[in-house]
Amino acid sequence: MSVKDRTSEFHAAVESIRSRSSNGHGSFQARHNLEHRRPLLNGNNTGGKSINGSNGLNKGEFSRMAGAIGKDISMTTAKLQKLTKLAKRKTLFDDRPVEISELTYIIKQDIAKINKQIALLQQYVRDHKKNNKQADEHSSNVVVMLQSKLASTSMGFKDVLEIRTQNMKESKDRREQFMFSSNQRADIPAANSPLYNTQKRNEQQNTDFLALDMSSGQVQQQQLQFIEQQDNYIESRATAIESIESTIAELGNIFQQLAQMVAEQRETVQRIDANTDDIQTHVEGAQKELLKYYASISSNRWLMVKIFAVIIFFFLIFILVT
Amino acid sequence: MKIYSITVFSTENEEAVNLTGEYELSGFGFFQRGSVQEFMKFFSKTVAERTRPGQRLSVEENNYIFYSYARTEGIAGVIICDNEYPQRVALSLLSKILDEFLGKFARNTWKPQTISYPELKNYLIKYQDPKEADQIIKVQEQLDETKQVMNKTIESLLQRGEKLDDLIDRSQEISFQSKAFYKQARKTNSCCTIS
Repeated sequence: MSVKDRTSEFHAAVESIRSRSSNGHGSFQARHNLEHRRPLLNGNNTGGKSINGSNGLNKGEFSRMAGAIGKDISMTTAKLQKLTKLAKRKTLFDDRPVEISELTYIIKQDIAKINKQIALLQQYVRDHKKNNKQADEHSSNVVVMLQSKLASTSMGFKDVLEIRTQNMKESKDRREQFMFSSNQRADIPAANSPLYNTQKRNEQQNTDFLALDMSSGQVQQQQLQFIEQQDNYIESRATAIESIESTIAELGNIFQQLAQMVAEQRETVQRIDANTDDIQTHVEGAQKELLKYYASISSNRWLMVKIFAVIIFFFLIFILVT
Repeated sequence: MKIYSITVFSTENEEAVNLTGEYELSGFGFFQRGSVQEFMKFFSKTVAERTRPGQRLSVEENNYIFYSYARTEGIAGVIICDNEYPQRVALSLLSKILDEFLGKFARNTWKPQTISYPELKNYLIKYQDPKEADQIIKVQEQLDETKQVMNKTIESLLQRGEKLDDLIDRSQEISFQSKAFYKQARKTNSCCTIS
């Protein structure tokens, strides 16, 4: 067997591995060294640098940026997970809206920044297109991978926001279910407020007490049942009082109708009154006429007597003459 | 609808202590009354122990319903009634009795033997009729009565309206006829003399 001298190959392999490890690992120390080395390289090598060196420079820059972007993405994913955990909470009263909105804002900014960085990286790759095809492919693959990671993160972010809105709606519904009774009382007209003030105070005491129970956070289901029973009692009282109120309103309506009908009938009575007055006038007038008639009839006899006397006188004269 | 018993317990310890209670046992046979009363005491005690402070509870068993209300001061009241008795009345009755109890007896006198609460018996008898117990029901009944009276009034008012219409027609007719009568009289009294 022949001993082949592969020392040079060995050296080259070590060199390549060393450069690869210092470029691709992304360890802080190595990156620092690389950064320190780069100005040295820049300072030492002007203009016509060997391709290896420039490639190494470009590769170093590229992988540094890619590494930074990857680290940002992982941080954002961690924050997103925390936000998911916060948004999934279903307690009614222990919600932390300030924290959630802050976290949402931060994540949104992070995603925008990462987006910009990826765009820069892509531009960088396009500008520094090397002749080495595989290196080009590698860089474009890296960019695509970073982009897809960012896309999945933003999808997750969108899902979390949806979950959060849904939970907020649910919690609002449940909150209304408990505070439903006190909300209903707020719609009652002010005229009945003395009647309802004491009631409202009592129920508010009850609901406050219930709020305390809820926030102690024990066996929630059982508490819900008990609260429903309290609510049943309170609700039955409320319905009874409402029926009383409606009865009173109906009675008021009836009274009003009564007054209206009486007013209408007053008009009728006035007409009857006028009619009777007319009757009286007519009958009085007729009576006067009859009296006059009677008077004239009785006085007419005298005239008739006189006329008859004159006729008889003429008759007598006629008879005496013939 | 009947109330069978009203009992007041002190719930400070794990086991409820019966402070006072009244039982209406006339519906049961003479020889069963003792055991029925014991059963009632036992059930009331169990229900009172299960009631958390500030909570109203209702338990249904065969035909009987237990209403219990526990106050945070450490006492609880249990009412046993049949299933016709309205829930709201029973619970408000409990509140009233417990309020009165709290007002009358100071906390340190809550031992079973030292408390005499004779009004409870009166309450038990008086409130067999739920209408007595609940103000709301009373007011509602009075309002219904008033509404009926109002309806009758309106009906009679309508009849009055009809009669008035009739009167109008008649008075109008008389008015016309008297006018004709007057004209006739004037006509006979006119210029033409009677020949």
